[in-house]
Amino acid sequence: MEDLKLTLKQQIIESLNLQGMTPADIDDNAPLFGDGLGLDSIDSLEMMVLLERNYGIKIEDAREGRKVLESVASMADYIAQNRKI
Amino acid sequence: MMKPVYISAAAALSPQHSFDADRLLPDVVSSSNGKLNVIDTDYSKFINPVAIRRMSRMLKIGISTGMRTVQLAGINTPDGIITGTGRGSMRDMELFLGDMIRLHEEALNPTYFIQSTYNSINGWLAMQTKCTGYNQTYVHRGHSLEVALLDAQMLLNENDAKRTYLVGSFDEMTEEYFVVKNKAHYWKKALPESLYLLQHSDTNGTIGGEGAAFFTITNEAEKAICRIEQIHLLHEPTTTSVQTAIDSVLATNGMKLKDLDVVLCGMSGDARYQPLYQPILENTTAHTTVAAFKHLCGEYDTSTGFALWLATRLFATQTVPEVLIQKKGINPSIGNLLLVNHYPQGTASVMLLSIDK
Repeated sequence: MEDLKLTLKQQIIESLNLQGMTPADIDDNAPLFGDGLGLDSIDSLEMMVLLERNYGIKIEDAREGRKVLESVASMADYIAQNRKI
Repeated sequence: MMKPVYISAAAALSPQHSFDADRLLPDVVSSSNGKLNVIDTDYSKFINPVAIRRMSRMLKIGISTGMRTVQLAGINTPDGIITGTGRGSMRDMELFLGDMIRLHEEALNPTYFIQSTYNSINGWLAMQTKCTGYNQTYVHRGHSLEVALLDAQMLLNENDAKRTYLVGSFDEMTEEYFVVKNKAHYWKKALPESLYLLQHSDTNGTIGGEGAAFFTITNEAEKAICRIEQIHLLHEPTTTSVQTAIDSVLATNGMKLKDLDVVLCGMSGDARYQPLYQPILENTTAHTTVAAFKHLCGEYDTSTGFALWLATRLFATQTVPEVLIQKKGINPSIGNLLLVNHYPQGTASVMLLSIDK
């Protein structure tokens, strides 16, 4: 699980072009949106694409998506249980 | 006939030091690889750091130039934003289309798509300046900026209330676009040093370019750098139709060819289009200085933007730098300027500018 979280952080930094950030700067449990990492709605779309492209996960339900994208930890849990690739 | 409008501020990001330089065309930049690219500036001065990470180079160039113009005009919110672009954000479009092929049209990044739309820069400028007024982007190839300027002129002519519109243009030259245009024989086969491009006007082709230029266009004469008297558009220009258009614009404004102080020409070193400008070189009198600009910015759909920015600087400094001059006139001051430009896909424009001497 720790390896998955590290990989996920690297993928988030790369796909969202979070310049100057390293995986160590992202807390596993900190909110990705709002006060935490300060991401916005377009970033959430980019992360849905990241999940689909890298893990074969398609989230159709917006409410489920909101829960999954709460933090790196919640994303990693969901990937571990639902990944197809 | 429409009433003239006024340029109250101008900024350009171009292949020359046009953005921050305290004097006109210092240290002229030349290139030998067939294209001239914009000199980057510190975009973080003009764009929110959270937003900038997602932006392509074209967006950063366009938004920064627009914001700089608003700053120079001393306003916070323009009454409207009108832009022209021949191609929009080419790099984002290339990335989006490339992903469509590579990923079989699935799991495509939304950012490339959103930013590749032509009106992205207008949207960002509207948000940054809190402008909820008129917002329009024209995509009319070589006439894109000219049509944006005409739209501003028509809006300002509609009523007498004092208004200021932010009007600008932007186009970029990507590696792929350069290759595609090369196949269509846009560029010279033997690439010259760009600074000496016009000395190669006996062969076909030119060099590529890019840039952004923005202006605040107003009906407040007291704020003017210069006045746009008239804009005339031509489709499928010929030597004769360009001359007829010049004669018509001059006659409409009670002028003759001998009255012109400066003619700024879009000659591009391409033998196929040089005949459009040859009569200007031959028929202007000793009074008039004939100048050119494409050896400094390259050829692109909205190169008129660089030329118009240059014109505002010529009026402000009352000098024509030697690097621009094709035929030196004896006139010591600049009270009017005729801008004549073409783009290879069948468009040309004639624009008369002036100041009160």
